[in-house]
Amino acid sequence: MTLFWQILIDGFAISSLYALGATGFALIFGVSGVLNLSHGALMVAAVVAAWAAGADLHTGPYAGAAIGVAVGFALSLLTYFVVVQPLQRTRKIREEEKEIFILTATLLWGIMIQQLIAYLYTDNAKTVDPIVQGVVSVAGVRTPANEFFTAIICWLVIALLWLLVNRTRAGKAVLAASMNPRGVTLLGVELSRIYVAIWAIYGLLVGIAGVLLGMFLGVSSYSAGPLTASAFAIVVLGGLGSVPGALIAAYVVGYLETVTAYLISPAYRTIPALLLLVAVMYVRPRGLLGRR
Amino acid sequence: MHSRTTTILLVAFGVVVLSAFLPLWLNAYILGLLTMAYYSGVFAMAWDLLFGFAGEVNFGPTFLIGTGAYTAGILDSLYQPPIWLCVAAGTAAAVVGGVVLALPALRVRGPYFGLTTLVAVLMLQNFIVVDAHLTGGENGLTVPDVISINDTTNYEIALWFMAVSGAILFALARSPVGLILQASGQDAVQAGALGFNVTKHKLTAFIISAFFSGLAGALLVFYVGSASASSIVDITVGVQIIIAAVIGGRRTILGAVLGAVFLVAMSEALRPLGDLSNFVVFTLALGVVLFFPNGLFGLLTRAREDA
Amino acid sequence: MKRTDRRGMRAPILATLSAGAAVAVLSLATPAFAQANDPIKIGVIAEATAVAGSSIPQAAQLAADEINAAGGVNGRKIQIVSYDDHSTAPEAVRAFQRAVSQDHVNAVIASYISEVVLALEPWAGRLKTVTVTPGAASDVITQNIAKDYDHLKYMFHGYATSTSIADATCAAAKDLLVGQLHMKSAVVMSEDAAWTTPLDVEYLKCLPQIGLKVLDHIRFSPDTTDFTPIFNKIEGEKPDVIITGISHVGVQPTVQWKQQEVPIPMFGVSSQATNSSFWNDTNGATEGVLFQGFSGPDVAVTPKTLPFVQAFVKRFGNTPSYCGYTAYDEVYYIADAIKRAGSTDPDKLVDALEKTDYVGTIGRVEFKGRDTANPHALKIGPQTITGLMLQWQNGKQVNLWPANVANGKVKFPPFIKVGSAD
Repeated sequence: MTLFWQILIDGFAISSLYALGATGFALIFGVSGVLNLSHGALMVAAVVAAWAAGADLHTGPYAGAAIGVAVGFALSLLTYFVVVQPLQRTRKIREEEKEIFILTATLLWGIMIQQLIAYLYTDNAKTVDPIVQGVVSVAGVRTPANEFFTAIICWLVIALLWLLVNRTRAGKAVLAASMNPRGVTLLGVELSRIYVAIWAIYGLLVGIAGVLLGMFLGVSSYSAGPLTASAFAIVVLGGLGSVPGALIAAYVVGYLETVTAYLISPAYRTIPALLLLVAVMYVRPRGLLGRR
Repeated sequence: MHSRTTTILLVAFGVVVLSAFLPLWLNAYILGLLTMAYYSGVFAMAWDLLFGFAGEVNFGPTFLIGTGAYTAGILDSLYQPPIWLCVAAGTAAAVVGGVVLALPALRVRGPYFGLTTLVAVLMLQNFIVVDAHLTGGENGLTVPDVISINDTTNYEIALWFMAVSGAILFALARSPVGLILQASGQDAVQAGALGFNVTKHKLTAFIISAFFSGLAGALLVFYVGSASASSIVDITVGVQIIIAAVIGGRRTILGAVLGAVFLVAMSEALRPLGDLSNFVVFTLALGVVLFFPNGLFGLLTRAREDA
Repeated sequence: MKRTDRRGMRAPILATLSAGAAVAVLSLATPAFAQANDPIKIGVIAEATAVAGSSIPQAAQLAADEINAAGGVNGRKIQIVSYDDHSTAPEAVRAFQRAVSQDHVNAVIASYISEVVLALEPWAGRLKTVTVTPGAASDVITQNIAKDYDHLKYMFHGYATSTSIADATCAAAKDLLVGQLHMKSAVVMSEDAAWTTPLDVEYLKCLPQIGLKVLDHIRFSPDTTDFTPIFNKIEGEKPDVIITGISHVGVQPTVQWKQQEVPIPMFGVSSQATNSSFWNDTNGATEGVLFQGFSGPDVAVTPKTLPFVQAFVKRFGNTPSYCGYTAYDEVYYIADAIKRAGSTDPDKLVDALEKTDYVGTIGRVEFKGRDTANPHALKIGPQTITGLMLQWQNGKQVNLWPANVANGKVKFPPFIKVGSAD
């Protein structure tokens, strides 16, 4: 029985983390049509910033976390203004090809960030001092309190996002923009402001997800690629452009990995999720709830 | 139009012939660098065929390269048949791999295609690690035979292999098949409406890309004497190939070689910067993508376009 | 028509000229070799920007300078020629080819990465050049020599094999875990990688022999980030100790071990724990982790150890990594072999190296013979090199074993229950 609770709790924590990251990725694709391949690098940057704040500036965990989120936020906006926006606006490339160029450019940008981090801080793994320390015992399972903290924060943020999109005017404009960009401009909304807003929100999501990841599991500069691939896979599984789909898929993948690690073997942790992805691609390429 | 292609071909041929004489002046180290660059050039050209023409962003060119390289290497380390047999086997395996990959991949478009190719690379990496007794795992695979230990011989082999591959790929790109590919890449619906079997043509492009990738990969193993996941299959290697093709100039085939040589020259020139050199190279590459989307080849032939 | 042709020719000519210029610049980048006073050249191929690898060329240079200051080898000076292989096998192979055919080195000291060393091994045979590695652990390096001695005899493994490291760990466990702490059972936990395969095989053999029953053997994927299931499983089996074999991962399992307050100590191989920055990397979570090594701060393994460290710190400003010690020794015993052989001829050098009996900074260096399963591997044991067992305590690496060089006692964080097995 303990095993059941262990799997339930551990799987929930890691799935929540996947969910937060994937939500950001799905958001950016859904609204601005950009598959941001520097996603993982942005998360790693947030973690390393939080770690560096603790190690070099000797800030407490709260300040460190705040710095990490801020760095994620700033880098996300930088990504938009330096890499994505120029390519979206340029006249030198044909419209159909812009998607590919943005893809390549974000890929390069992600690698640049990864290399810079490795250069400044080496490629050793880094962890962030958790805000919540200690362990709690739930249903006979001794769990780090941090895991519960992680899950709670993830869901808090996702709930806030939902409120923002569905209940505020600005949020509804964003939703409309994702469905029909031209239509929105006809209504007098500045499309570019919407894009900036979305990248800003994305930056917060990535920063928070990154810092939580750093507190829970830790990252190294090598994690950038796998993190992007994982978010990409989850979002495709859930259906490109569908945020609810991404949430569900995140839990499917998270639990699949956890169950495999507990019941089959930790050596094969990532394989079932990979196979599922292949199966979905073959059988239902648009994912669970995809609409594009 | 015709005279422009002829001019380009003549110049390209001229450069190749001149390059064949470089061993007279250059030292073994530079020759070694260029040898690697030439093989990378073939990888990049094969990628350009798929991307630039068929319009499919292949994130995992290293899946095909790795399949070719490891098949050839494992065969040699187990049974030691003659090298040409291993290379042929590697190429065949890559082609089979290409078909196996193409079947699911071509049913999907755009980002899904990219993801499928990415998954293929991840699965190959998993296989390499899990079957370490066969592949050497993270220690890599060392083969008992190499083609030659003479730098000049290896250089010439790489150079002429690249030249011949380039010629074939270039000719293909300009042929009716290539034009249909271009059409399918840019507007599959219209190409289909015109009666062309888009899928069949893209599959052909896949197979050709796989052929050259696998062949070059196998030859590479017998040049270096070893293969490993981190030097042949890893996503970062794939990224470098993509960058070489893009900054060289997409849809030009020959530009890919320029890109590959440029990347190698830049990495060398920036060596004194140590670890930062990679960062600078990627920054430069990003700059090219942002400001010179037509790549180096586009830059060099710009005088033509102004005419 | 004519006008277009002329303007059109400009670009292709420009292309050819710029390509030629690029090649010319590249060729000027490497100066021609100049005849000097017939020095003995030792090529050093390493990962100059990696934390561990940067010590290799530095330590080698230090050794060379010391030898030269004392008169060199029969009057000939030692010259270190350095190459950066950027941690990749193809670059290392290229550097090796260049070192031998262009720079005419007499011996090569190469890399601490097994993949790189294995890629270089056949080339050492093809180009008949003595090559010694200061850091890789793969058993395959010396197993290959056994299979093809005549070709690969030029290769020497200047560091311990995975199997020897397992034996050294067991020797320390016998005194510390069984002797002092009366432990009875263990679970082996290692990353699923090529280097841990022989390590684990040896663990499973030697642990029962010293009195630790192996309850389970867990291998996890090297790109695991979530270790909770693994620690939960181990805890359920209630061993007295977790015997580790980790290198690719280090920070994450250690931090999660502490956060989860797993009441079982970790003991064994944890490569990242040997880094002096590990305490910061884990935010102190590594308190109480025991790890195997061949060198440690302020540990005088031999009379040469601490003078070497002091000279290194004075010159380079930081302590040497583990392969700095071995690289330093290698320059010395290669020079010694050249002196005994009376020449730099590769075959004579091989014979002389096989007879090496040199007290270095990590112990007494002796190589295993031709007729063993691992020819040219270092002899690890009480008479030669024993290795150390260290523990992180309050931000410092403290050595606990062997007793004659110990500078502390075993100490565990409060959540550890020693002897938790019933």
